[in-house]
Amino acid sequence: MEQIKITINGKECICNKDEYILKVAKDNGIDIPNLCDHESVAAFGACGLCAVEIIDDGNGRKLPKLMRACATKAQYGYVVSIDSERVMRSRKVALELLMSDHEGDCLGPCKLNCPAGTDVQKYLKQISQGDYHGATQTIKNVIPIPASIGRICPHPCESNCRRRFVDQPLSIAFLKSYAADKDLEKDTFVPVCKPDSGKKVAIVGGGPAGLTSAYFLRRHGHSVTVFDSMKKMGGMLRYGIPAYRLPKSVLDREIDEIRSIGVELKNGVSLGKDFTLQQLKDEYDAVILAVGAWKSMQMRVAGEDLQGVVGGIDFLRYISSQESEIPDLNGKKVAVCGGGNTAMDACRTAVRCGADEVYVIYRRTRSEMPAEDIEISEAMEEGVTFMFLTNPAEIIGKDGNVSQINLQVMELGEPDASGRRSPVPVEGKFEYIDVDMVIMAIGQTLNNTGLDGIELTRKGTISADSATFRTSDQNIFAVGDATNRGAGIAIEAIGEARKCADVVDSYLNGSIKPYNAPFVSKRNDEDIDFTKHEKKQRIEMPARPAEERRRDFDEVNLGFDDEEKVKSEAKRCLECGCHDYDDCKLIKYANYVNLKDIRFVGKKNISPVERKLVTIERNPNKCILCGLCVRVCDEVAHKGILGFVGRGFGTVIKPEFSAPDVIADCKNCNKCFNACPTGALKLIEY
Amino acid sequence: MKIMVGQGSCGIAAGASKVMTVLQNNLSDKGFDISITGCIGMCWLEPIVDVTEDNGKLHRFVKVGENEAKCIADAVISGNFESTLSLEITDEDNSFLTQQTRIALRNCGIINPESIDEYISCGGYSALKKVIFSMSQDDVIEEVKVSGLAGRGGAGFPTWFKWNAAKQSQGDEKYLICNADEGDPGAFMDRAVIESDPHSLIEGMLIGAYTIGAKEAVVYVRAEYPLAIVRLKKAIEQAKALGFVGKNIMGSTFSCDFRIKAGAGAFVCGEETALIESLEGSRGMPRLKPPFPAQEGYWHKPSNINNVETFANVAWIIENGGKAFSAMGTEDSKGTKVFALTGKVKRGGLVEIPMGKTLREVIFDIGGGIKNDKQFKAVQMGGPSGGCIPAELLDTVIDYKKLSATGAIMGSGGMVVMDESTCMVGMAKFFLDFTAKESCGKCVHCRIGTKRMQEILTRIVEGNGRSGDIELLEELCGAIKDGALCGLGQTAPNPVLTTIKYFRNEYEAHINDKKCPAKECTSLLTYEIDSSKCVGCTLCAKKCPVSAISGTLKSPHVIDADKCIKCGQCMSICKTKAISKN
Repeated sequence: MEQIKITINGKECICNKDEYILKVAKDNGIDIPNLCDHESVAAFGACGLCAVEIIDDGNGRKLPKLMRACATKAQYGYVVSIDSERVMRSRKVALELLMSDHEGDCLGPCKLNCPAGTDVQKYLKQISQGDYHGATQTIKNVIPIPASIGRICPHPCESNCRRRFVDQPLSIAFLKSYAADKDLEKDTFVPVCKPDSGKKVAIVGGGPAGLTSAYFLRRHGHSVTVFDSMKKMGGMLRYGIPAYRLPKSVLDREIDEIRSIGVELKNGVSLGKDFTLQQLKDEYDAVILAVGAWKSMQMRVAGEDLQGVVGGIDFLRYISSQESEIPDLNGKKVAVCGGGNTAMDACRTAVRCGADEVYVIYRRTRSEMPAEDIEISEAMEEGVTFMFLTNPAEIIGKDGNVSQINLQVMELGEPDASGRRSPVPVEGKFEYIDVDMVIMAIGQTLNNTGLDGIELTRKGTISADSATFRTSDQNIFAVGDATNRGAGIAIEAIGEARKCADVVDSYLNGSIKPYNAPFVSKRNDEDIDFTKHEKKQRIEMPARPAEERRRDFDEVNLGFDDEEKVKSEAKRCLECGCHDYDDCKLIKYANYVNLKDIRFVGKKNISPVERKLVTIERNPNKCILCGLCVRVCDEVAHKGILGFVGRGFGTVIKPEFSAPDVIADCKNCNKCFNACPTGALKLIEY
Repeated sequence: MKIMVGQGSCGIAAGASKVMTVLQNNLSDKGFDISITGCIGMCWLEPIVDVTEDNGKLHRFVKVGENEAKCIADAVISGNFESTLSLEITDEDNSFLTQQTRIALRNCGIINPESIDEYISCGGYSALKKVIFSMSQDDVIEEVKVSGLAGRGGAGFPTWFKWNAAKQSQGDEKYLICNADEGDPGAFMDRAVIESDPHSLIEGMLIGAYTIGAKEAVVYVRAEYPLAIVRLKKAIEQAKALGFVGKNIMGSTFSCDFRIKAGAGAFVCGEETALIESLEGSRGMPRLKPPFPAQEGYWHKPSNINNVETFANVAWIIENGGKAFSAMGTEDSKGTKVFALTGKVKRGGLVEIPMGKTLREVIFDIGGGIKNDKQFKAVQMGGPSGGCIPAELLDTVIDYKKLSATGAIMGSGGMVVMDESTCMVGMAKFFLDFTAKESCGKCVHCRIGTKRMQEILTRIVEGNGRSGDIELLEELCGAIKDGALCGLGQTAPNPVLTTIKYFRNEYEAHINDKKCPAKECTSLLTYEIDSSKCVGCTLCAKKCPVSAISGTLKSPHVIDADKCIKCGQCMSICKTKAISKN
C-alpha cells in the first residue's frame, strides 16, 4: 500500500493512500467529532459533524466544499483543518439542530438542582442494591461530609424530584445520611489521592466550604492546611446548627475522615490576629478564603443595644460552644425575630434551654417563611408561638435590660421581586409583648477582619469571580457564605468549594481553567406522562415525640431502622436522567462546541418509547437517526431488522414494517445497543 | 385529410377525450382517420385539434369543446374551413411556437406517440443505425463532446464526460439509467417527452447504452405519470418487435434490454444515488460520492444516469452532428433547453429555445407577458432547488453560469412567473414546505434544518416574526448548504437566500410592520368597507361565510375584524368596489 503524508490541524500524519481522513486522524490521536461513524460498518455520512475543510488539496487549491472526513480519502499533500471557523459553524448548527429535536433529560432534576451536582440517581440505585459503600463513594465525589449534610440539607433535590407528580418526592437527603452512616460504621470509603504535587494551599475557614475545598485539593495531590479561629472544625455546621439536628459526633467522625487523607487542620488561629493574608501568600502557592458569614445583621430599631438583645448566630454559637453546662433560660420569655432556618434553630434552642415562652416574630405568614416546613412544624410541636404578620418596631427596656417588644402589625400587599407578597404596615396598629430576651435572626454577613486589600461587594461580602473564584487578589480565591450574594445553605457552599478546588488545581498546574457549567438536555415537566407510574408512599423518618425532644439536645430524628424499607424507598426513583449520559457522544460534542442555548427551537419529532425487541428499549425521542443500529443490524449481524420509516422531519427508525416475524428474527445480540452513540437504545433490565 | 387530437395528460385533462369521441362519432364512418398526438406545449389552448388537408395546409383548432368539435367535423366533411376560421389559433398565439427551436421536443404534438411507424417516418432510429454500424463508442463520445450537450436534469454536467467515465469503468455488467423522476413542482418537460415522443427517449438511451457498453437500460419514471408509463411500455414493445430493443439489435452484436421502474413519488429519488437505492429496492436515500455511479452504481456496477431531455437530444445530435447542436447557445451552454413556463404568465406551456435567449424574451415575447396586465415581479427558476430572479435581472441570458450568478439555477426547466400579488416570503415558505417534507431524513442539516427554516418562515408569514429571524434564516441556509450530503439539501436554501437577497424589504415588512406588501398573507390582512362607497346592497353580508359583516339595507356595512376569516369573498362580490384589503 502506498504511504502518503497529509497534515491534519498542523500535525503531519503518514497514512495509506485512500484511507479515510477520519480514520487517519483517529490513528494519530486526533478526535474529529462524529456520531454516525463506526469501525464495523461502511461510511454513511449522515451526521455531518465530521465535516472538515481541505485547505490545500496538495496542488495549492482549497476545496470549495466542506468534506465529510468519514468518507473523504486521504490524498497526497492534503492539508486538513478540523476546526476552522466554517467547520465549527457548520458543526455547531448541526448540534444545535440535533439538540432542538432531542427530547430527553441528560440529568435528573435532582442532580441538576443540587448545588453540588450530586449524582443522586446513581447513589439511589446503589442504595437500592444495598451498596452503601458505593453510594458513599458516589456522594463523596462531590460532598465530603454526606452523613452531616444528609441530616441538615434543605434538599433542593427533593423539592424538584419528579416523583412529586406521582405521589411524593423521594426521601433523598435521609437516604444519603443513611448510606453514609452505614459506610462510617465499617470499611469506610477512603478516596485515593493523586501523588503529591509539591504545591501547598492555605484555606482560611473550616466550615463546609473550607473543608470541601481542602478535601478535593488533597485528592488532587496538593498539600492543604485549613486555618480556623474556633476551637473545632465544622464552622456553621458545628456552631450554627444545633446538635439536635446534627449530632457533633457525626460531624467529628466525618472531619476525622478528612484529616485522615492528610489535610492539616489548625484550630484556634484567627486571620488578622494570629496570621495575615500576606504571610499565607508568602508561604503557600494558593490561598482560599472560606471564612463564612458570622456577623448577625442589625434590625435597625430602637433598643437594639439593650442588654438581652443578641444576634441569632451569636446565640447559637454561644450555646453550642458550651462543653457541659447548657445555659438555663427557665422563667424567661424569648422573642426570635426572623423566618429563616437560623430563626428556627434559635427558637428551638431557646425551648431546649428551658425558656417559658418562645415567640417567633415574622412579618409575613407561614407560607412565605424561608425556613424548612418541617422545621416550622417541629418548632410548633415543641411549643413555640408564631406571631405572623408582625414586625419589631421598638425594643423597650427597663434598667438597661429588655422588658418588652413593640410589634407593628402588618398585612400582605403586592408580590415583590422574589415573588412573595410583601408585608405592608397596618397604620396605627401595634401589639406589645413582654420579653426578657430578643434574638435577631434576620440574616448574617461577613466579618471582614484581616481582609484588608480584598475587594468587597456593596453588600459587604468578598467579591469573587463566579467562574474562577478569584478575588481582587489573583492568588487568593474565595468561596461560600463570605462571598458575593452572602450566606446561603451549606450545600451551596460545598458545591462552590468543589468547583473552586478544581479551578485552583488547574491554576496550580499552570493554566487556570474557569468553571463552565455543562450544557445538558432537559425535558419540561408538563411534557411527561406520570400516570403510568404506580403510586407508592414515601418513607417517613421516625422522630422522637415533641414532649421528649424539647428537653434535650439529642438528635430529633431516630433514623431509618428497616433496611428493606430504605432499599424500596430508593427504588421509587423514576430514573429521570439518561443512562448514557457519561458515554453519550451527542452531549459530549454539544459541549465540545460550547453550546449554551438553542437558537433554533421548534417542534420535536415525538413518538412513544417502545419495547418491541426483547432486550432493547428504543426511545425514538433520543434518536439522532445516525442509522448505526440499522446498519449494524444489517451489515454486522446480517439481520436487517431495523429500518428508516417516513420522510423529512418525521423520519424514525423502526423494526422494518413492524412485522412480528421480522422482530422474531432478532437474536438479541445487542450490537445495535453497543453502537448507539446516544441513549436512544437501552438494555431492558429483568 | 389527417386529423389529430392532442392527447397528452394536459389535453386529456382539458377534455380532449370527449372531443375525440365527438370527432370519431361524426367522422369515422365517413372514412376519416382520426389519430392522437402528444402535447404541443400550448397548455392555455387545450384541447387542440390539428387538421391537415391533403394539400398540406394545417388548420390548428384551439380550446375545442364538444360543440366546436361538431363544427370541425362538419368542416372536415364539407372540406370548407371558412366557417371554423374563428376556432383556429391566432397568429399571436401561434408566435408562441414560431419563436421556439425544437430539438428535444421535435416530434411532440406532431406525430402519434403510440406509432413507431410515424417516429420512423420522421427519421427515427436512423441515428441508432448509424451509431451501431458506422461509429465506435469513442466516435459517439466525441460527437457528444463536440455538441457540448450537458445534463438537462439540472446539474448541467457534460454528458460526454459521464459516458466516457462509464465506458472506461471495468466490468462486463453495466447499466444505463434514465431519470424520469421529474419531481419539481410546476415541471412537466419530461412527462411531455415520454407521452408525446417516447421513441426519441428510447433511441437516445440505446445510443447511450451502446456507447458505455450497457446491456440493460432502465427508465425510472414516477408512478404519478401513468400515461407516460403506458406509452413508454407500448413503445418498448414496438421497438422490440422491430428489433431495436433486445438481442442483436438490427442484426448487430449489440444487445440491450429495456425495463421500466415506477418510482413511489419521493422527490429525493431524482438524486441519482438515491434513485439507484430505490431501483435496488431500498429506501431512497443518497449515497456518499465518491464512488460515483460511473464506477459503482446500480448493484454496485458501472452505471450511467441521464435525464429524459438529455437523451431526447442524442439522436438529433448524431443525425445532425455535434457541431449543429453547439452552433446554438452561448460560450458555456450549448444547444437548446426546454422550459415549463407557468404561473402568472399569459401563455404558459412548454418552451424550447436555444441557450442565450434572455428571460425577458421567454416570458414576454414567447409567454406574452403577465396575465391581466399586472406587474412582473420575479421568476422562480429550477423549482425548490432554484431561486427567484427579480425584474431588474430580466435581461439575464439563459446560460448555466449566468443563471447561477443570480443565485438561481438553470435546473431541470421549471420557470414559475410571479406578479406583484405574489408574496415572496410566502413563495419561499411554499418551497421550504416542500423540501422539508421531501428530505430523506438522513442528514441532520437537511432533516432538521429545513424544518426549522420552514417554522421560521411560517411564523413570519403569520405575523409572528421576530427581529433576528432573517439572520437566523441566513445562518441556517449557510449551514445547510455546507452540511447536506446531496443536491436536495444543498440547494434547499436557494429559494430563501434569493428572496432575502432580492426582496429583503418584504421580509422586514412582515417582521417589523406586520404587513404583507403583496397582500397575500391572510394573517396580516384586514378587510374594510369604505362607507362612502358602500350602498348597503347586503350582498357581502349574505356571502360572508362567518357572518362577520353587519348592516342594514341601503346603509353602509361594517366588517367585524375579530370574526373575519379573510377569505376575500366579500371583496369579490362587491359591485361598488367598496371593500379593500390592507
